[in-house]
Amino acid sequence: MLHDSSGPTGCALRVAALVRHNLLLRRRDPANLITYMITPMILIALFKPVLTRLMPDGGTAQDVTGMLVLSSTLALQIVGMSLLSERTWRTWEMLRTTPATAAELLIGKAVPVLAVLLLQQTVVISYGVAVTGLSMSGPPFLLLVAMLVWSVTLLAAGSLLATLVRSHSQLAVLTDIGAIVLSTLAGALLPLSLMPSIARHVAPASPGYWAISMLKAAIGGDAAGTLGPAAILGGIAVAAGTTACLRLRRGLAQLKS
Amino acid sequence: MDAINYTRYSFYTMYRNWEVAAVLEATGLVKRYGQVTALAGFTLSVAPGEITGLVGHNGAGKTTFTRIVAGLAAPDAGHITIAGLAPRRAARLIGVAPQEISLYPAVTVRESLRVFGGLHGLRRKPLAAAIGEVTDALCLADFLDQRIASLSGGQQRRAQAAVALLHRPQLVLLDEPTAGVDPQTRQALIAALRQRAADGAAIVYTTHYLPELADLQATIAVARHGRVIARGTAQQLLSGLPGQVTLDLGDEVLRVPAVDTAATLAQLLTTITKPLRGVSVTEPSLDDLYQAVANAA
Repeated sequence: MLHDSSGPTGCALRVAALVRHNLLLRRRDPANLITYMITPMILIALFKPVLTRLMPDGGTAQDVTGMLVLSSTLALQIVGMSLLSERTWRTWEMLRTTPATAAELLIGKAVPVLAVLLLQQTVVISYGVAVTGLSMSGPPFLLLVAMLVWSVTLLAAGSLLATLVRSHSQLAVLTDIGAIVLSTLAGALLPLSLMPSIARHVAPASPGYWAISMLKAAIGGDAAGTLGPAAILGGIAVAAGTTACLRLRRGLAQLKS
Repeated sequence: MDAINYTRYSFYTMYRNWEVAAVLEATGLVKRYGQVTALAGFTLSVAPGEITGLVGHNGAGKTTFTRIVAGLAAPDAGHITIAGLAPRRAARLIGVAPQEISLYPAVTVRESLRVFGGLHGLRRKPLAAAIGEVTDALCLADFLDQRIASLSGGQQRRAQAAVALLHRPQLVLLDEPTAGVDPQTRQALIAALRQRAADGAAIVYTTHYLPELADLQATIAVARHGRVIARGTAQQLLSGLPGQVTLDLGDEVLRVPAVDTAATLAQLLTTITKPLRGVSVTEPSLDDLYQAVANAA
């Protein structure tokens, strides 16, 4: 009755089952995703006239990329929640009793969340193009690379956060305050040129700074300007992802902050 | 020719050994959490078709043992195999129902069974057939499309047991599966487990409710301070324990502890001179066994 669970076929079937299951979980709890898609649209519309007056180029790229980075950083909560809930439901332990390996469990968990983050960014940029007149002079592939790198960075950071906090409320506080502080420092709300000089010096410490630079360059078709920040974000993602995986190997239930 | 005969002989020997070998074989397991020793030489083997009731106080090491068998924790010392394999390599042969409900609240019973069945290698028609079989056995068929969160505690327990039994594992681990459930759930679960044992599965059943073990016709392992201190059938373990003969003599009630209650009663009946108003004989129970073993250890 049981199919052979070893080998690449068994692995692919298990990952597919996990991806389907995690997509189902996402569909059953769509409120966060909808909120994080609608909020940047409202903010983009509100900030558009302000930035048009303040910036010589009209500020559309700044407006769209800034709000996108703010909202996607807030969406770290979706990433963290998807792992943290497995701990509170005790389902991670149940999954670990199955033939699925730790890597399969993480891939099955990560793919739907990555899809959610990419969907959010695609919707926000499409809104920017359609409603605020964002000009896309770069190839779509470059933008896709930029969005993918940023999504992977968020995924790794969110996973790490989920292994560090003890409760949903801790996660919510950390992601909300962290997202607003880091995004503001990165120049997501107002361009860095309008902020105090100390902010300009501190900004590179925020991953959001590199995300805004990367997305702006990708929209403008600047490959070198895209890949430089992408490499930095990739490094952050590798560091955060490796730490998260090391902590997850011990099992979610045993984690302590 | 010799080589062929040798191969046949080896295969036959292996098959014979497989038939009689224990599914679960744990020897001298030690597990420490900091200064606390959870297992201190825990030894237990369970044969195919055997239901073993694992009993003991809280902290006796039962849950730590089931976590090690399930591959969720590694022992610091000792040896454990499931059908000859290390626990993590034997995951597809094991079905686990943890002590606490560990299912996704937002998905239905059917969806829960699909995902765990899929992870155990069940697909399409065999999966649908297995879901039908296990939900019928556990009286869950009417709740298949209800979300876990909307089920009662007993229904959730049955859903969790269904996940453990779905893929027809060779070894089933159930950690207090009837804690706080109604008699219907208990009876459905016991019947399903007896059927699985009759089909050849080895079952480890952790409980504090000892009468269930009689219903399950289980062998018993009593755990204390991280090791098994008594092991055998209920009959074997109860044989040395005293029961009680009670004689109601009207103005007094005579209670006499007795290992052989029938002989003691016969002897008492020949010696009493007062008119007898009532007689009762109480055989030792599993609760008496547990108390005696625990006190002796």
